[in-house]
Amino acid sequence: MLEATDLTKSYNGHLALDRLNLAVRPGEIFCLLGANGAGKTTTINLFLNFIRPSSGSARIKGLDVVEHPLETKRHLAYIPEQVNLYRNLTGLENLAYFAALAGHREHATAGFLELLAQAGLTEEAARKRVSTYSKGMRQKVGIAIAAAKQAEVLLLDEPTSGLDPKASNEFSELLVRLRDRGVAVLMATHDLFRAKETGTRVGIMKRGRMVALLDTAEVGHADLERIYLDHMHD
Amino acid sequence: MILRIARKEFVELARDGRFRASAAVVGILMVGALAVGWEGWRDISREHARAEADSRERFEGQGEKNPHSAAHYGLHLFKPKSSLAFVDPGVDPYTGISVFVEAHRRNEVDYRPARDATALERFGDLTAASVLQVLLPLVIIFLAFPAVAGEREQGTLRQVLSLGVRPRDLLLGKAIGLAAAMGIIVLPAVVVGAVLLSRVGDDAGAAWPRAAALAAGYLLYLAMFLAVSLFASIRAKSGRSALVALLGFWILNTMVAPRLATDLARRLHPTPSALEFASAIDREIREGVDGHDPQDERIRRLEEELLDRYDVDFVEDLPINFQGVALQAGEDHGNAVFDRHYDALWSTFDHQDAARSALGFLAPTLAIRSLSMGLAGTDAVEHRAFAEAAEAHRRELVRLLNDDLATNGADLGFMYQAGPELWGQMPRFRFEPPPVAGTIARLGPSWLALGLWTIVAAAAAAWSARTLRID
Repeated sequence: MLEATDLTKSYNGHLALDRLNLAVRPGEIFCLLGANGAGKTTTINLFLNFIRPSSGSARIKGLDVVEHPLETKRHLAYIPEQVNLYRNLTGLENLAYFAALAGHREHATAGFLELLAQAGLTEEAARKRVSTYSKGMRQKVGIAIAAAKQAEVLLLDEPTSGLDPKASNEFSELLVRLRDRGVAVLMATHDLFRAKETGTRVGIMKRGRMVALLDTAEVGHADLERIYLDHMHD
Repeated sequence: MILRIARKEFVELARDGRFRASAAVVGILMVGALAVGWEGWRDISREHARAEADSRERFEGQGEKNPHSAAHYGLHLFKPKSSLAFVDPGVDPYTGISVFVEAHRRNEVDYRPARDATALERFGDLTAASVLQVLLPLVIIFLAFPAVAGEREQGTLRQVLSLGVRPRDLLLGKAIGLAAAMGIIVLPAVVVGAVLLSRVGDDAGAAWPRAAALAAGYLLYLAMFLAVSLFASIRAKSGRSALVALLGFWILNTMVAPRLATDLARRLHPTPSALEFASAIDREIREGVDGHDPQDERIRRLEEELLDRYDVDFVEDLPINFQGVALQAGEDHGNAVFDRHYDALWSTFDHQDAARSALGFLAPTLAIRSLSMGLAGTDAVEHRAFAEAAEAHRRELVRLLNDDLATNGADLGFMYQAGPELWGQMPRFRFEPPPVAGTIARLGPSWLALGLWTIVAAAAAAWSARTLRID
């Protein structure tokens, strides 16, 4: 579903991403772990075709994202670390707008409210302008936007940053439901605990390279943390 | 999809307090400028009509006298205000509104309102044209500069493009939404303008096509500013630098270019000073075109020729009045001199206009200025049409009076007198402005400059949307 082949990105000789190979199958949650600057966001930006690979390729459903920039995006939904919305519109209007741009027939307002409720936003909050929202509330709208798209691929860049533990937990449950429906998820995160809980596989990245690839079913919490820290020490 | 983007853009603007406030201010200014322009237009039109009627009445009421004296008595002709002068007064304030027609002399069109204005008024002229040419582009710049750059800085651009929205569609939607917002600002003025135009009276029929062409010209001009603003918003590093670049473009166009173009045109094609011009004409009338054919000599030749033709020995024996013929001959000679000098002067003005039109390809505000004045019937060419018509009327009037003296004066000479009956027979002056089709056609270079700017700016914006940067 999601496939990187020798995916490389360099900026003026500095390798931000070094020959990444990974494949995320339907019904799988692949977590990218690593310090800031390890290449997690670069990987996601490459899949979004926001930046061009220096070499190698990124494919979604078998289509190269550089050659098919619009079609590949139709299959994916994206939640950035910081969901940005139109301040003068309400949460509900933002969701309706993004859903319309995603090319989905307009849901009824009730449908949008339902999606927002699932993401943890009350109707009262949904009808307020986004300029009054906290970061967590914006993040919830971002989750609803992604859910509305009913995509087969999810690209998540630290989506739970700024969410309180309860909302974070609800988000994990949502992810699991999506996974069970056969969605392929690629998530960059700092949260080892969530990665172990919800992820099917974990890739540890360091200075642009994937240094370890683990099956979460085969490691315990403590093991994962130890392996991660081992890699972070040089 | 495009319309959905346009709608969101419009809703966002409509909820923005800054937009609402500036829309109200600009809307009121436009309607105010139109209302003030209309007030002035109506008052001046009435005054002109009254003054011209007065002048005619005095001419007809001058009693029994020699027809040539009547020609000296003369009368004032007024330039009718074109219907759309209330939108764009053009060069009217600088070129004069009235001309005194009399025997022997071709007078300048005089009484320039600008001469009576204080220095302050020169900067404070609020006309619908200046709002359209200067203020609205500024409003467009302020509305459109964050269109893409702002979303890029907010981070919403990432999310929109992650949905698989074609950047060109996004741009088009934004352009439509912004255009709709501008439409809301301009709508009251358009309605008021149309209502006022329907009340200009007899000329309304001829005014509508001109108004339509004028609207088309301004639409092109404003669309060009929108396209340039969007282009800057896409290409600039930040919203701030887009704004700075656009304000520079605006200042160059609306402040620097018009003054520069006028100076440059004058330098390239200098006109003689009023004094030089008048004294050259005087000299040629007195001394003949080459300076070796003085007036006395010409009259002597005419006398011999007439004596020969009628085969008589003395002027007194001629069956016609010699003074009348001689005066008309002098008039014809003077007219030829006027024609040569005025043709040269007008052609210099034409060259200046052509230079300004050419500069319109560099600064589109120059193009819309020419277009607007031309279509409103207030530019130099339309002024010349009036001056020529007034001069033709003068010549006909003087010729008819001299002819009457020549044919009916016989041997009475200057003792001959005619009465109000003759004065009343003199044709009335009626100025027909040039037909609209010709005006639109002669403004070709300005249309072309505006059209090219709009197309190139839109193409540049569409092209740069293909390589839209995310951040």
